[in-house]
Amino acid sequence: MAIRAFLFVLSCLAAATCRGATFSSLQQTLIVTASPQPAQVLKAGEDEITVTWSLNSTFPAGVDSSYKTVTIKLCYAPISQKDRGWRKTVDNLVKDKTCQHKIVANKPYIFPSNNTFTSTVLRDVPTATYFIRAYAQNSEGDEVAYGQTTDSHKAVNLFEIQAITGRHVSLDIASICFSAFSIVSLFGFFFLEKRKSKASESK
Amino acid sequence: MEISHGSYNQKKFALPVDSEHKATEFRLFSAAAPHMRAFHLSWISFFACFVSTFAAPPLLPIIRDNLDLTATDIGNAGIAAVSGAVFARIAMGTACDLFGPRLASATLTLLTAPAVYCTSIADSPISFLLVRFFTGFSLATFVSTQFWMSSLFSGRVVGTANGVAGGWGNLGGGATQLIMPLVFDLIQNIGATKFTAWRIAFFIPALFQTLSAYGIFFLGQDLPDGNYSELHKSGEKHKDNFAQVFHHAVTNYRGWILALTYGYCFGVELTIDNIIAQYFYDRFNPGGGMLSDFMAKRFGMRGRLWTLWVVQTLGGVFCIILGQVGSLGVSVAVMLVFSVFVQAACGLTFGVVPFVSRRSLGIISGMTGGGGNVGAVLTQVIFFRGSRYSTETGLTLMGVMMICCTLLITLIYFPQWGGMFCGPSSKGKTTEEDYYMSEWSSSEREKGFHRASLKFSENSRSERGRKIGSAATPIDGTPNTYV
Repeated sequence: MAIRAFLFVLSCLAAATCRGATFSSLQQTLIVTASPQPAQVLKAGEDEITVTWSLNSTFPAGVDSSYKTVTIKLCYAPISQKDRGWRKTVDNLVKDKTCQHKIVANKPYIFPSNNTFTSTVLRDVPTATYFIRAYAQNSEGDEVAYGQTTDSHKAVNLFEIQAITGRHVSLDIASICFSAFSIVSLFGFFFLEKRKSKASESK
Repeated sequence: MEISHGSYNQKKFALPVDSEHKATEFRLFSAAAPHMRAFHLSWISFFACFVSTFAAPPLLPIIRDNLDLTATDIGNAGIAAVSGAVFARIAMGTACDLFGPRLASATLTLLTAPAVYCTSIADSPISFLLVRFFTGFSLATFVSTQFWMSSLFSGRVVGTANGVAGGWGNLGGGATQLIMPLVFDLIQNIGATKFTAWRIAFFIPALFQTLSAYGIFFLGQDLPDGNYSELHKSGEKHKDNFAQVFHHAVTNYRGWILALTYGYCFGVELTIDNIIAQYFYDRFNPGGGMLSDFMAKRFGMRGRLWTLWVVQTLGGVFCIILGQVGSLGVSVAVMLVFSVFVQAACGLTFGVVPFVSRRSLGIISGMTGGGGNVGAVLTQVIFFRGSRYSTETGLTLMGVMMICCTLLITLIYFPQWGGMFCGPSSKGKTTEEDYYMSEWSSSEREKGFHRASLKFSENSRSERGRKIGSAATPIDGTPNTYV
């Protein structure tokens, strides 16, 4: 059993070094839980997420022998991928665009694991529905296993993040002022033009 | 009665001019008023408008996350950006005919600048679509550019002037792909977050547009002899009547044909830009305009028409090939060739437009320019929306449509110069004067409103080409002949 798992991991490594690992080849050996409740709305730049991950003990011992680091990412739920090709899920992990926002990258994998990480949601995270996934990586940085807060259909335990608008009052005022100035100067032009033509008429 | 033109002109203008005081030479590195200065002002402001209209696409990866846009929202905004200009171009043509290109283009540029400023405060897919729609109106400055060049440069160089002004203006669409990301990076490095930095970045094209409008107003001049408002008041230029101008524009079938065929060169260009995010510099190839003038020197208007038909048809052929090739290297090469032909066709079209009508030049230019945008909208909606056709099939079908629509050029016929297949008419009213005077009623001619058209007819005799030396030359400027 252990040997088979080991061979499986080896073949994943081989695949990774050749072309990039595929998601379907990864084993779901990690259990990941996170602080956001289902359907909770978090604010980017303000609220915090706490992620806890551990190894699923139902797997044989030694399955995590190649795990060196863990990277945790925010991933788009299917509803936020709809009609948005730039967030498409693709099996080839190099091309996969499901998880574009890192919560923490390359944290050392400690055995026996029961790790926690807390961070504030970054300000450049867009408004969307998310779940959280943790990738276990080998010494070369390639993904070899994963765990996620939702099920395989990505349908349960999803939460939302509300992005910052990026707008500021000063910017709004500047936009309005410059726009008004353009229109006013246009009427100024018309006035000047009328005056000039009256002047040439009276010459 | 008539002032002798020779040395008087040389003293007054920096460039050699004809009887209408239009420049007969095109000197790129001069900024002499009024001709070359107007050239530089108009291409720069057209460039600014292109920068503004296509400022969003390079920043879309950030904007789509900030505003939560879907691919459909983005596609619709792209179509909106080019569709606004359809009617704006026609309206612009009318405004040029009535108020002059200087006021018309400065007005439009200033009126659309708020749309660019307000892009900074967009916060939803709908507001994004609206700002792109209204910003797109500024592309109508293409018409004022062409009209202005046609008013200041004689037939010998009008193709070149139109082509270079249009081409360099179009460069804005390519330049913005570099400018906007650079500006965005700069602002981000200063310390703004992504979602704020792109908003600040839009102030750059907006300010550029505003400043170019000021430049046109204070430094530009409509005609070699002055601005419309001064000339109207002094009586030198007749202030025309909108209904008449409109009537002569929409009843001239050649305007409609050129509008449709322009949809299948410029419209195709806009479509390709939206579909394949690759920008070719020198998009509106000045070569087309120069080629038109070159062909006109030897073969007159018939040469211009034949060259336009051949070049645009070849563009269609290469578009079909583009849809068929499989390898990346070959398709890039084919696209380059296709692009050259399409660009040249645009330049060649505006070598013909100045001669279709003198009285309604503005509206005809506007219709043609607007036709370009209609082509873009139609083509994208029919072939490149949803998943009915694969992109390759869409390209091939677009090429077929180009070839079919371009066939209409064979129908264009000028009685005084001929068409593609027929020579000039040998019976009855067949001089340039007859053609351009037919736009004025006898009562209007009695009042002398037609004088500018008369001078233009005389100067347009060059469109006969070199072979036809001495056709019937009517007596200069005598209204009595036409009563």
